[in-house]
Amino acid sequence: MPPAEAAHVTRRQFLRGAAAAGGLAAAPWIVPASVLGRDGAVPPSERIVAGGIGLRGRGMGDLRWMLPEADVRFVAICDAQKTSREAVKRAVDAHYGNSDCAMYNEIREFLATRTDIDAILMATGDRWHALAAILTMRSGKDVYTEKPSCMTIAEGQAVVATAKRYGRVYQTGVQRLSEGNFVFCIELARSGRLGKVHTAYAHIAPWDAAEMKHEWLPAEPEPPRDEVDWDAWLGPCPWRPFNSAYIRGGWRGYYDFHTSCIGEWGAHTFAQAQAGINALDTSAVEYEYVDNPTGDGMVTKFAGGVRMILTRGDKWFHGSCGMRFDGPEGWVAAGDGYSKPDVSSPALLADFKKIVGDYQARTGRPMSHMRDFLDCVKSRRQTVANPEVMYRTMSTVHAANICMWLKRGLKFDPVKAEFIGDAEANRMRSRAMREPWII
Amino acid sequence: MSRTVVAIALAGALVAAGALELLGQTVPPATKAEVDKLIAVLKSDAPHKEKADACRQLGVIGTKDAVPALAALLPDEKLSHMARYGLEPNPDPSVDEALRGALGKLKGRLLAGVIGSLGVRRDAKAVPAIARLLGDADPDVAQAAGRALGSIATAEAATALQGALAGVSAANKVALCEGMLRAAESLAAQGNRDQALAIYDRLRALPEPHQVRAAGLRGAMLVRGKEGLALLKEHLGSKDYILFSAAVRTTHEMPGAEVTAALAAALPALPADGQVLVIQTLAHRADAAAMPAILALARTAGKPVRLAAVRAAAAFPAAAQDLLKLIQDSDPEVAQAAKESLAALSGPQVDAAVMEMLAAPDAARRALAMELIGRRRMTAAAGALLKAAAGDADAAGRAAAIRTLGDLAGPAELPALIDLLMRAKEPQAVAAAEQAVSAACLRADKPESCTERLIGMLPKAQASQKAALLHVLGGVGGPAALKAVRDCLGDADKEVHVAAVRTLCAWKDIEVLPDLLALARKTDAPTDRALGLRGYLGWASNNKTPAAERMSICKQAEGMVQKPEEKRLLLSALGSIATPEAIAMIMPHVDDAATKAEACAAVVSAAEKILKGPGAARAAPRLLEPLQKVAQAAAGDMANRAKAALAQAQQAEKAPPKSPARKKQ
Repeated sequence: MPPAEAAHVTRRQFLRGAAAAGGLAAAPWIVPASVLGRDGAVPPSERIVAGGIGLRGRGMGDLRWMLPEADVRFVAICDAQKTSREAVKRAVDAHYGNSDCAMYNEIREFLATRTDIDAILMATGDRWHALAAILTMRSGKDVYTEKPSCMTIAEGQAVVATAKRYGRVYQTGVQRLSEGNFVFCIELARSGRLGKVHTAYAHIAPWDAAEMKHEWLPAEPEPPRDEVDWDAWLGPCPWRPFNSAYIRGGWRGYYDFHTSCIGEWGAHTFAQAQAGINALDTSAVEYEYVDNPTGDGMVTKFAGGVRMILTRGDKWFHGSCGMRFDGPEGWVAAGDGYSKPDVSSPALLADFKKIVGDYQARTGRPMSHMRDFLDCVKSRRQTVANPEVMYRTMSTVHAANICMWLKRGLKFDPVKAEFIGDAEANRMRSRAMREPWII
Repeated sequence: MSRTVVAIALAGALVAAGALELLGQTVPPATKAEVDKLIAVLKSDAPHKEKADACRQLGVIGTKDAVPALAALLPDEKLSHMARYGLEPNPDPSVDEALRGALGKLKGRLLAGVIGSLGVRRDAKAVPAIARLLGDADPDVAQAAGRALGSIATAEAATALQGALAGVSAANKVALCEGMLRAAESLAAQGNRDQALAIYDRLRALPEPHQVRAAGLRGAMLVRGKEGLALLKEHLGSKDYILFSAAVRTTHEMPGAEVTAALAAALPALPADGQVLVIQTLAHRADAAAMPAILALARTAGKPVRLAAVRAAAAFPAAAQDLLKLIQDSDPEVAQAAKESLAALSGPQVDAAVMEMLAAPDAARRALAMELIGRRRMTAAAGALLKAAAGDADAAGRAAAIRTLGDLAGPAELPALIDLLMRAKEPQAVAAAEQAVSAACLRADKPESCTERLIGMLPKAQASQKAALLHVLGGVGGPAALKAVRDCLGDADKEVHVAAVRTLCAWKDIEVLPDLLALARKTDAPTDRALGLRGYLGWASNNKTPAAERMSICKQAEGMVQKPEEKRLLLSALGSIATPEAIAMIMPHVDDAATKAEACAAVVSAAEKILKGPGAARAAPRLLEPLQKVAQAAAGDMANRAKAALAQAQQAEKAPPKSPARKKQ
């Protein structure tokens, strides 16, 4: 071993030494990137040790995406619901052929005690996304979180600040930023092949509404805390009586828990649209109120004059989470289920492979959102859907929601993160968090 | 009267009074009456829910008048949070006084909540009181105090935080350090560099927690500005991987040639893990000054480092010649990585190097050059490729050139490509040329503009070339192409005839329907008939075909289907149409043992779609009888689905349809 290498502690040595010292046993540790993810089998000592928080329907999908990665070892799940914890444990244990996956029901205990975990996969409901990501990063772990990743503009800012503060890797689950058809549309729009793009269309979810529910469902007896920790489930949100419908997914559509039909898909499609118009470092500056329950047709404008139009139907694309860019020389559109993007002229598709390939080569990004996250955990670079991308695009979501809730047009200053001339809108940029879930 | 209407009326009055400018906003505030009404709810014995809602609304419109009523709820176990919800966003200074006043009266979670709100509001006057709570026995309170003081971030708050560090418990340490980091950020932003650095330096010197040490080092490097370079250099040689990787990570936030130079200079002496991390970081910086150090490792280091270095070379156009050598490396993974990097590398010098390779005497080098030309989309190389396609000494080389032309060629190369097709003899060459011609046509803004040239070649073409031209015409489409293909149905050569039939069956526009129907009716040619019928029924299953047309196709085809597989195609089409009329056509097939299962599935599938749609209530009565019959005829899961659909149909007669199903993304 050359002298310099001898002086450098490997991960295994570090853990062994720390354990011997008695103080830092199993301290979480950044993986030394001696073996890159796609080069084959990764020695166990250099795997990313992963855990999960709040993995159910979508989260189980993410888990199935993560488990086959050779450089990941998933070791523990934390969830306020016993059935969910157990379902994840069954899936993980079945994958590894053992019974090692540990279960926790209290997030702070989980993060504080599992200091061996490097990265967290998180797919709670919307209300917990930002808080859990912040607690995770503050505990020295990286995080892949489902979207929509913040309930308010202030939460988004706090995620950005925490990731920077601790140098953590964070990816929000807007996975279409890592899918070929969507990347092609974005790159085509940015390349100038459509001329200067003047309009982007962003799909919003065809269920629920922008108008939110405030009512309480009838109270039911609270289950034992080990089965459902209702206080933890509510987290930072206002208290309300337990009703089992909420925990079965019925929380959507409620102001306290959800970011509306605009946030449901806008978390994806605004990021896609803003990527194509080169506006991932800002948010829309104008929001035109539309007199309908959903926000369908709302025109937003960016500082350069580009319009982004919220659209709920299938006029501009089919499938889900669609987007479209219009320029003077053509248009391109894609949604889920497209074999190839729709284009105004077949010639635009000729360079599909080249454009997607160039993007991958230029950025070093794989066409896998999870793989991008795992690569970045090792390389410590920013992910494609990093905190700034999340914050800026979710600020557009929140501003559009506030526009609908106040039933009036709004102007927004993305630099100051303030609405211009509207004190009420500004007071909706944050919500007091319920104790003790305060960041 | 709605808020909006009130607001519009008030706006006029305020503009007239010149109040708008004074208020600093274009939207008038809420009326006093609205606020008073909400305050009255808080003071009443209204239920919990109503008071919570009033607090929420006061968070948006509450004035100074609302503060006492909200503050009175701070000690209320049930409503304390909602009281803060109403107070926290209210800009009136009396909110701070109220929250401060509650500090001495509350305990536990409620106290932690109030501390948190004072932190959000950055109330400097609260610092002494909150500082006293840093040592509170309740961890929620002590931790909230640490974070809140960090948010307030006055010099006094920072001093209090630093003073508490030595005695902080293990449980509260992360929260206290979080507060110190917040304070340091604010102090640095305010220009108080020395106090910020004192905090960062202290935190990076801690034995743990590791994330705080890393955060301390990051802050210490960034706040020092150019002087942070010394810290970077120091930690690039660190034995402590936590601080080493934090230092490297922090360079993502440090522009400048000096930083690149420091990273590059450290490379040779680092262990392999460190080298990979620094190489990736340097590639991200894309500063050409780092290229020699990276290329040196690409040539000589161990495999993981070599791979990282070869991949990183894609950031440096001047690395082209080195990569061209590395694509012949004895290690196939390194060679492949070099190829990937070359394919991605931008710049005219890279193109020139690849063109030079195309002229190499070695056939394998020439083939590699063609692959790179295709992957780099070097359209300017089309002429050279045409030359190679016609005259390369190696047959594989000629085929590779044609394939690459298929990747690159556009309408400008079409005449030369058609010429290649007309001269191709071997099946592989014909297939490659067909693909290239087809791709070139489809890259035209209007592919139909190529039709005339393609049709013009048909009389001169031999059978295999003619078949290829028909396939291309199928891809291009349009009336003229359709006529040309139709005319070839009578061609004496079987290969041409089959190509014409198959091209019609795969036609992309609905105008082909009469031709397919004619084929389906050809009783003297069973293969043509079967292909034509399948193609014809395919349009009935196509969602893009208008619904009326789909039904018409099925009616036409009903008398022609003979074999069970043809009947199944018809049933599949009818099932996808999803109307009561289509179901009526399916029903006779339920009695046929050969098609019973498919017919039942088609009825259930169609009924389920109808029942999800807006016309469910109207159609439901016509679904009852078919579903009853299918529920009896089908078995297992299909019978259960039929019964469920039947129940739904019975329900739909009375109730309106449901909204679209939710799909979590």
